[in-house]
Amino acid sequence: QTAWDMPTPYPATNFHTENIQKFADDVAQASVGKLKITVHANGSLYKANEIKRAVQGGQAQIGEVLLSSLANEDALYALDTVPFLATSYADALKLWRASRAAVEARLAKNGLKLLYAVAWPPQGIYSKTALNSMADLKGIKIRSYSPTVARMIELMGAQPVTVQAADLTQALSTGVVSANLTSSATGYDSKSWEQLDYYFDVQAWLPKNIVFVSQKAFDALDGATRQAVLDAAAAAETRGWKLSEEKTAWYVDQLKTNGMKVLPPSDALRADLLQVGERMAAEWVEKAGADGQAILAAYRK
Amino acid sequence: MDLTIAAILIGTMLVLLAGGLWIGLALMAIGILGLFGFTPRAPGDGLAVAVWGVNSSWTLTALPLFLWMGEILFRTRMSEDLFSGLAPWLERLPGRLLHTNVIGCTLFAAVSGSSAATCATIGKIALPELTRRGYPESMALGTLAGAGTLGLLIPPSIIMIVYGVSADVSIAKLFIGGVLPGVMLAVLFMGWVVLWSLLNRDRIPPADLRTGFADKIRASRNLIPVILLIGGVLGSIYAGIATATEAAAIGVIGSLIIAASQRSLTRRSFIEALLGATRLYCMIALILGGSAFLTLAMGYIGLPRHLAEWIATLGLTPGMLLLVLAVFFVVLGCFLDGISIVVLTMAVLLPTIQAAGIDPLWFGIFVVVMVEMAQITPPVGFNLFVLQGLTGRQITTIARYALPYFLLMVLAVVLLYVFPGLVTWLPAHMMG
Amino acid sequence: MRAFLDFLYRLSGALAAVGMVGTLVMVSTGIVSRPLGIYLPGTDDYAGYAMAACGFLALAYTFKHGEHIRVSLVLERTGPRLRRALEWFSLAGATVVAGMLAWHAVHLAWESHAFGDVSQGVDATPLWIPQLSMAFGTVVLLIALVDDLVLTTLGRTPARLAGAGAEAARME
Ligand code: NA
Ligand code: NA
Repeated sequence: QTAWDMPTPYPATNFHTENIQKFADDVAQASVGKLKITVHANGSLYKANEIKRAVQGGQAQIGEVLLSSLANEDALYALDTVPFLATSYADALKLWRASRAAVEARLAKNGLKLLYAVAWPPQGIYSKTALNSMADLKGIKIRSYSPTVARMIELMGAQPVTVQAADLTQALSTGVVSANLTSSATGYDSKSWEQLDYYFDVQAWLPKNIVFVSQKAFDALDGATRQAVLDAAAAAETRGWKLSEEKTAWYVDQLKTNGMKVLPPSDALRADLLQVGERMAAEWVEKAGADGQAILAAYRK
Repeated sequence: MDLTIAAILIGTMLVLLAGGLWIGLALMAIGILGLFGFTPRAPGDGLAVAVWGVNSSWTLTALPLFLWMGEILFRTRMSEDLFSGLAPWLERLPGRLLHTNVIGCTLFAAVSGSSAATCATIGKIALPELTRRGYPESMALGTLAGAGTLGLLIPPSIIMIVYGVSADVSIAKLFIGGVLPGVMLAVLFMGWVVLWSLLNRDRIPPADLRTGFADKIRASRNLIPVILLIGGVLGSIYAGIATATEAAAIGVIGSLIIAASQRSLTRRSFIEALLGATRLYCMIALILGGSAFLTLAMGYIGLPRHLAEWIATLGLTPGMLLLVLAVFFVVLGCFLDGISIVVLTMAVLLPTIQAAGIDPLWFGIFVVVMVEMAQITPPVGFNLFVLQGLTGRQITTIARYALPYFLLMVLAVVLLYVFPGLVTWLPAHMMG
Repeated sequence: MRAFLDFLYRLSGALAAVGMVGTLVMVSTGIVSRPLGIYLPGTDDYAGYAMAACGFLALAYTFKHGEHIRVSLVLERTGPRLRRALEWFSLAGATVVAGMLAWHAVHLAWESHAFGDVSQGVDATPLWIPQLSMAFGTVVLLIALVDDLVLTTLGRTPARLAGAGAEAARME
């Protein structure tokens, strides 16, 4: 019997983690107990930013990370956070199909085998004040947590501010920051209605989590078990995307139920934001080079 | 099997510690032994990743800065001022200046999110003055060890953030929910000091000269720097100038300003304070590293997880469940630090808690009080380490001094169980 | 040799103090830049690296001040011969553990370089650079432990750095 340890970053109740737990159960069943995957949720074994490294270094055999958290390594990983490029589940899936092979090849260079990816609900803007056009964003302090997000905030005329996740609740209630870019899911999990009043469902992008395994650990399995892992992964991908889409409507509903003003972006705001998106897509192509150009062309076809 | 592993690891830890191995290194040794002995994983990079991860994380930056602040203030007139300002007001309260430890920790807890920083900062300021005035060491160190843990219960609090994220509970509600229990614990501690002092009148040094009200007010002028400093740090948080983590930097700069204004800031005192803080922080950092690695090893071995799973299968009534969990947390708390306990067990415990109909907000405060106990139980208790670092006394001695405060926390948990409104009333009324 | 070793411990301690100042500067910069409307990416990450440098580089310096804590209850209650033996064993044990730590710390930095591991924050720092502080600090701690172990084996008393133990905060 082989035992794998699987560190994941999100709490046990998060739908990504629930999906992974089901994946682990499926693997155990299909391999008739030959492969047992222990899921260590919520960064309890390795923290979010240590997980890829741990699998690469052989400390863990399989893991989950937010794909765009690897963007500093390669611009390719930032594709799903280029704002307003793919704003629906159908588009996000199309974008994933266009870019999957490239991501797989890039991870293979680190000795990692990609198993599957699942999207998060679309990202919106949480704020204390109404945002009717980009002029309303001028000078507003928005939390920045990655280079892409920082750039987007700058292009929107707002001020990116560094606040760590641990300090966010307090930073929002004391005004260190007054707006936040995140998904309906995260906004629900962090109970953002306690600090913020508006949710603008601008659907900027759908980031993805990826699940990957150490190629060495994978190759050490027998043929049947390998197939069991691949089958369970394929099932988890289909199930995860469906789950994510179903949950989105529920999350948005919950925001409303808890007294948040949930609004679509005004036409003026949407037009302004689309311009930001186009500019950032162009900047991304510049960084990602010919390969990036090819992926984008395939997606837009 | 799990029991054998636990017995072997705990036994080895006690032998290594008693043999005089440095604590941080002893924790690493246990982690290494656990991984080699009971898992197919080699310690390897995990050792370095865990030690690096905990020591380079942003949330920890408040700790060294607060330690530095304490070292700066220790070299100013701050502590004399604090005591001469408070003494006239406390002269009639049995226990007199011992209460400054509890009051100081309670106030500082509103500034700092950690127990070690609270204990170290107030300890650095108050201990020399209490010693000089002849207060008994057992009470001076005991109150500090106990009240220092309020850093976790009175907001801001790092452990509440960790629990809130793991348990999907509002961090803002947890913060507010901790206020009344925190005040209650402070009152319990002060009550104990009063009781002890009444029973041991001869061991409390006599009051300075009796003073009239006008003298009291005049003496209170000495408190202005302290009030400005705490007000400045707290104000920076609530005015939105700094986050709770960043506020420590305001504390350091504020204490440098106080030192300069009292002309006690010289090149020499600056360097001494800086090096002193560096060593004190380094002492804690090594233990934090060892503790992080032991937590990683526990994650691989699965001991806390299996125990929590076993408790979940018992099918207990809510009251019995809480009793069993309290024992479980106290035992884990002897060997692991609070954040590790929460991270390693919450995923397994929460469904059980919810199934038993226990309010996760209330449970969060319950867990925080249990984690407070863990700070003062040997062999691994961070307040004990801080106080050993400050005074050179043995951990076992300090733990004995801290025992009454441990028991008061047990009493506090019972009170919270009987009066759950202590936790839930304030959040419900302030946040709807 | 003695002079060189003591210089090494002091140098490492001085660099650690610079790390403490760096932590303060980075956190303060973060606070000040916000109201000014300036975006300085990565101050939080740099504060973490500076703090790490402070903790790791001070390891040997703190050890040589006798300020890493341990339970000396048993040590203090034994006769001189047994005490020497116990001291030797705890130093030997510490050397083994510190040796593993130093080895893996160096390996971590080396592998971060080989993997091209980059921080995931806005700072995008190649991680081997800040991790050098852990590699250097743990190696110097190992040297300090070997130093004491050799002296104890030869029957001599390990030397503390000058000025150690004079802390006024101590209650004794
Ligand atoms: Na606090
Ligand atoms: Na403890």
